[in-house]
Amino acid sequence: MTETPLADPIGLEVFSNRLLTITEDMGNTLVRSSFSSNIKERRDCSVALFDAGGRLVAQASHIPLHLGSLLGGVQAVLAEVGLDGLHDGDAFICNDPYLAGGTHLPDIAIVTPVFCDGVPSFFTANIGHHSDVGGVVPGSISGQSTSVFEEGIRIPLTRIKAAGEINQGLLRLIAHNSRDPVERDLDLRVQIATNDQGAAMVRDLVQRLGADAVASSIDDLLAYTRRRLQTRIAAVPDGRASHTAWLDDDGRGGEPVPIVATVRIAGNHLGLDFTGTGPEARGAMNVPESALRATAYYAVKTVFDPDLPPNSGLFDAVTITAPDGCLVNPRHPAAVGARSITCNKVARAILGAFADLLPADQALSAGQDIVPVIVFSGQRRKHDGPFVYLESLGGGGPATATEDGMDAIHVHMTNSSNLPVEALEYEYPLLVEEYALVADSGGAGTHRGGLGLAREIRARTDGVVFSARSDGHVRPAPGARGGQPGRMARLIRNPGTDQAEDLSSKTAGLHLLAGERIRIETPGGGGLGPPEHRDAAALARDIADGKVSTAEG
Amino acid sequence: MVRIGIDVGGTFTDFTVLNQETGALGFFKVPSTPADPSAAIETGLRQILADGAVRPEHIGFLGHGTTLATNMIIERRGAPTAFLTTKGFRDVLEIGRQTRPHLYDYNRVKPPPLVPRALRFEVRGRLDVEGQELHALAEDDVRTACAALRGQDIAAVAIGFVHAYADPAHEQRAASLVRQALPHAFVTLSSEVLPEFREYERFSTTVMNATLGPPMAAYLDRLLTRVQDLAIRAPLYTIHSNGGLMSVGTVRRHPVRTCLSGPSAGVTGAAQIARRLGYPDAVTFDVGGTSTDVSVITDGTPAFTAARTVADYPVKTPMVDIHVIGAGGGSIAWIDAAGALKVGPHSAGASPGPVVYGRGGTAPTLTDANVVLGRLNPVALLKGALPLDATAGRAAIAGDIAGPTGLSPEVAAHGMVRVAVANMGRAIRSVSTERGHDLRGFALVAFGGAGPLHAAQVARECGIPTILVPRAPGTLCARGALMSDISLDFVATGLTDATTETWRATQARFAAMRREAEDWLAGEAVPVDQRGAQTMVDLRFHGQNHELSVPVAEPDKVDLSAVLEAFHALHRQVYGYTLPDRGVEIVTCRLKAIGRVPRPSEPPVGAETPVHAARTGERPVWFDDAEGWTDTPVFDRERLPAGADLSGPAVLEEMSATTLVLPGQRLQVEPTGTLIITETGLGR
Repeated sequence: MTETPLADPIGLEVFSNRLLTITEDMGNTLVRSSFSSNIKERRDCSVALFDAGGRLVAQASHIPLHLGSLLGGVQAVLAEVGLDGLHDGDAFICNDPYLAGGTHLPDIAIVTPVFCDGVPSFFTANIGHHSDVGGVVPGSISGQSTSVFEEGIRIPLTRIKAAGEINQGLLRLIAHNSRDPVERDLDLRVQIATNDQGAAMVRDLVQRLGADAVASSIDDLLAYTRRRLQTRIAAVPDGRASHTAWLDDDGRGGEPVPIVATVRIAGNHLGLDFTGTGPEARGAMNVPESALRATAYYAVKTVFDPDLPPNSGLFDAVTITAPDGCLVNPRHPAAVGARSITCNKVARAILGAFADLLPADQALSAGQDIVPVIVFSGQRRKHDGPFVYLESLGGGGPATATEDGMDAIHVHMTNSSNLPVEALEYEYPLLVEEYALVADSGGAGTHRGGLGLAREIRARTDGVVFSARSDGHVRPAPGARGGQPGRMARLIRNPGTDQAEDLSSKTAGLHLLAGERIRIETPGGGGLGPPEHRDAAALARDIADGKVSTAEG
Repeated sequence: MVRIGIDVGGTFTDFTVLNQETGALGFFKVPSTPADPSAAIETGLRQILADGAVRPEHIGFLGHGTTLATNMIIERRGAPTAFLTTKGFRDVLEIGRQTRPHLYDYNRVKPPPLVPRALRFEVRGRLDVEGQELHALAEDDVRTACAALRGQDIAAVAIGFVHAYADPAHEQRAASLVRQALPHAFVTLSSEVLPEFREYERFSTTVMNATLGPPMAAYLDRLLTRVQDLAIRAPLYTIHSNGGLMSVGTVRRHPVRTCLSGPSAGVTGAAQIARRLGYPDAVTFDVGGTSTDVSVITDGTPAFTAARTVADYPVKTPMVDIHVIGAGGGSIAWIDAAGALKVGPHSAGASPGPVVYGRGGTAPTLTDANVVLGRLNPVALLKGALPLDATAGRAAIAGDIAGPTGLSPEVAAHGMVRVAVANMGRAIRSVSTERGHDLRGFALVAFGGAGPLHAAQVARECGIPTILVPRAPGTLCARGALMSDISLDFVATGLTDATTETWRATQARFAAMRREAEDWLAGEAVPVDQRGAQTMVDLRFHGQNHELSVPVAEPDKVDLSAVLEAFHALHRQVYGYTLPDRGVEIVTCRLKAIGRVPRPSEPPVGAETPVHAARTGERPVWFDDAEGWTDTPVFDRERLPAGADLSGPAVLEEMSATTLVLPGQRLQVEPTGTLIITETGLGR
């Protein structure tokens, strides 16, 4: 056990506060001044600060799927350009999961070296989910894609700004490989400006505290984080446990695919292994390395220490292994676009394995454990030009030993806000008919699983194209410790009419006529504990509220 | 004439009494009475009338701030409320933005909706985004809902329909049906409470207004009765969240607008004091027992925000932009499992309180640290009324903080203060530097019981060159009620491209709002020559979803290009870039109607007594770990004459607060008694 004493426990806390100011400010700028609905409303973006050695110092993640996901981009800068090759006024861009540590192509990262007294001392970095980066389908992600070449423009690590000047040609090249080039152009400029704003604050910090004091505080911060996590891990008895979660299919139909997580605790060290997981998917359900790491770090924080600061100290205490060529360690050029769905199943597998090693009061049932996404595209309502409207939906949350699962929430790796109905109808030729909880969708239990969500949308013009990537149509969220499973998901075209049609969870490129409707119902969470032990008042409240019908209650 | 300002807090109800003829300014506190807050107000008013010097008919003004609304939401004591909404959307209140409150902890759950699902009813009828009717209102659905509610214990009905901001007709028709069926219910409409798009935030604000309506009315009735029983004839005003005053009638209709009543009065008071002393740009710094409130003032005007959460529910009403963090005198220090020193967010509050109070507190707090360091009087506070046990405070810090870290009790106590100051500094930077303000041109206005104690260190931490400490800083929120104007905010969502034509329509909209505002001011009995208005327009680039508020002094006289120029400049200031060629959208028009309340000038304090007469003693104070103890003069702040000019270090004690001046700082007392602390550039 490493027992590095903290050089200055008071200075550490003062310093952490200053770092948070920087990342909060960057995150605020990125969200509030951006144009992609993914970033501006749904906060599918993250900002981070690294030191010159490539260690993550601080991160403001709006979604856990980005935890540590900027590491790959910074490592690519260090490996391909090196500190000696950096100049003040540079900024780099990348998105490729195989060439630059990306998680999927729509997540474009910008990495900016920060020079203090002429020396590259830090990197500011941010990542944003762009609505469209080209590829076969609007929104760039289809569960059915068979290779990364179908998923949009691949950007290896490239200098997009030199001597303070943006490379306009490169920016145009990237923007025009998207169905919405104007939005790409604007958002990339916002991302670059965000890093510059962070860089100015970092320089100010170094000026105020001195470079040596900052370096020593960073060492303290990372040592502190590592020690804090190791203390928690060491408190759990040594042991080993496995758990399997299931995907309905690999994106192109077929049989359910197992995801097997094995957790091993030895002293203050934690190992996660994925041997036994299904093979590389034919479709886009594969999880590249950086996304797998983010998922593992998410699970570790959830289990051991929800408030652990996100920095490289967290990464040091965990070892992750997965066989080559499997679903969670795919080979180039396997498609990875829909990895967020798989990541949530991976999180479930890890949390399920931990359940056998931890006390019962830390139990967590399965939630919806997917990220259901619907995508509508067509011509904008008010302005000329195309639109791509993407929405990821909440579903049933997992029940805990003390709480019912939350209804209609994002679970695990994502936590995106919805697009308000009134904002959606302003921008797109769509009408929302219903946005509601799905009664009886939460698995019964001593603590009920959360309810799934229904969203029904009508096309107001011809030529609207619909795609979905989802799961949970075949395998429900299982209950835990005697709880019942949640209800499965559904996707229906024109529900309640005689043309009603059940759609596949990986529907792509469906052309809608004016007046046609799409309804998605997301999965409910699994219950925890035997239903007969449920508090009578809680059940009565559920029945009065119509969340549980008397027939099933 | 006597003017009285009141602030109803959780522990104390503060009073400020200004005699307009003599200029005498008095401050006092009485214990609060949470079960019926109007009881403490009566007690204080009786105290003012007790010696006969002030008679009821002398009282010409009563203004009060109260966080009653916020407390009722936190404690879920609002009235039983039903909600009528568009078919398909009854779960919007429960879904929220479909996010979970904490990314990594499923035991931290969403708050239950203010209206349970069983009391949320759907009504057919649908508008589109332009307000065009797609389906007519199904009046039978409204009647059916009312029938279901009859006989139930429902005191309030909220009505929120999709796109009602664009056309309120459906809501208004439904409201009249509800009023017929349920004549005793308090009915509130989303199109009246918040005519802005984004349904969740609008519905949330609307149901909060509904649930607050009946209990707020009951409170106001009790208070009015007590005031009338004392034969006081002055009109009663309430401070609302934007720092202005509202009549009782307006508060009854819009109780949700009082969520920040109280704290906003402190900001208003601080802004006026700073502006009068020549500091139009300032940061307010209000430190109490459990929290620190900070806000930014530019050009003499507090920053406003249109959105915040109250007990985790979103509320969108115009509010002074106050940023609150859980750091105050009662904040508890602890060493976490991995060895870091933390201060807060847990607080010992007023009970048991800090260890030095000797009321059973055992966990070391920020107040204990300040006593150990000699910054607070180690014998007693509140002019001797609150004796302290400094030894117990030192032992708690030695045991819980110094022991595990291997530090001396003084270094540990100073560490607690440094960590708290860093937390406070982060809060200040988040409302100032993060919004593009350069603090080198700002003053820090310190108030609340513990603001002046930490201001010197916080100002250095943030690079703020000047500190202002008003008189009786512990009761500034009560005094702020005497410095406020009558005001009400009007908003209208436009949501349109900014073109010459739409700007003309926007100007017409502003003119209509202006007329509406005039009607309201007339209803508040504001004389014509005291009426005014502030107008702003919320703009964004086409494709953005967050707006910036651009002040437009006289919308009818300004052309679009000037408005857009101001928007581009503001965008560059806030976000670091702008897009000169990008289309801009007009989203919301805002108008604040103002009825100016005449105010006498601040009374001067005496300048006759010499400075040394105010000196009460000397004690060792710990400022710096390298220097250790420094013998420091102690002054009675209330006896310091105008014009006094001292070099730090110094400690200034008064009834409601203690002010610390660091070595290297200079203290001056300006003619009306405000302390001005500056850096000398020496002895840092």
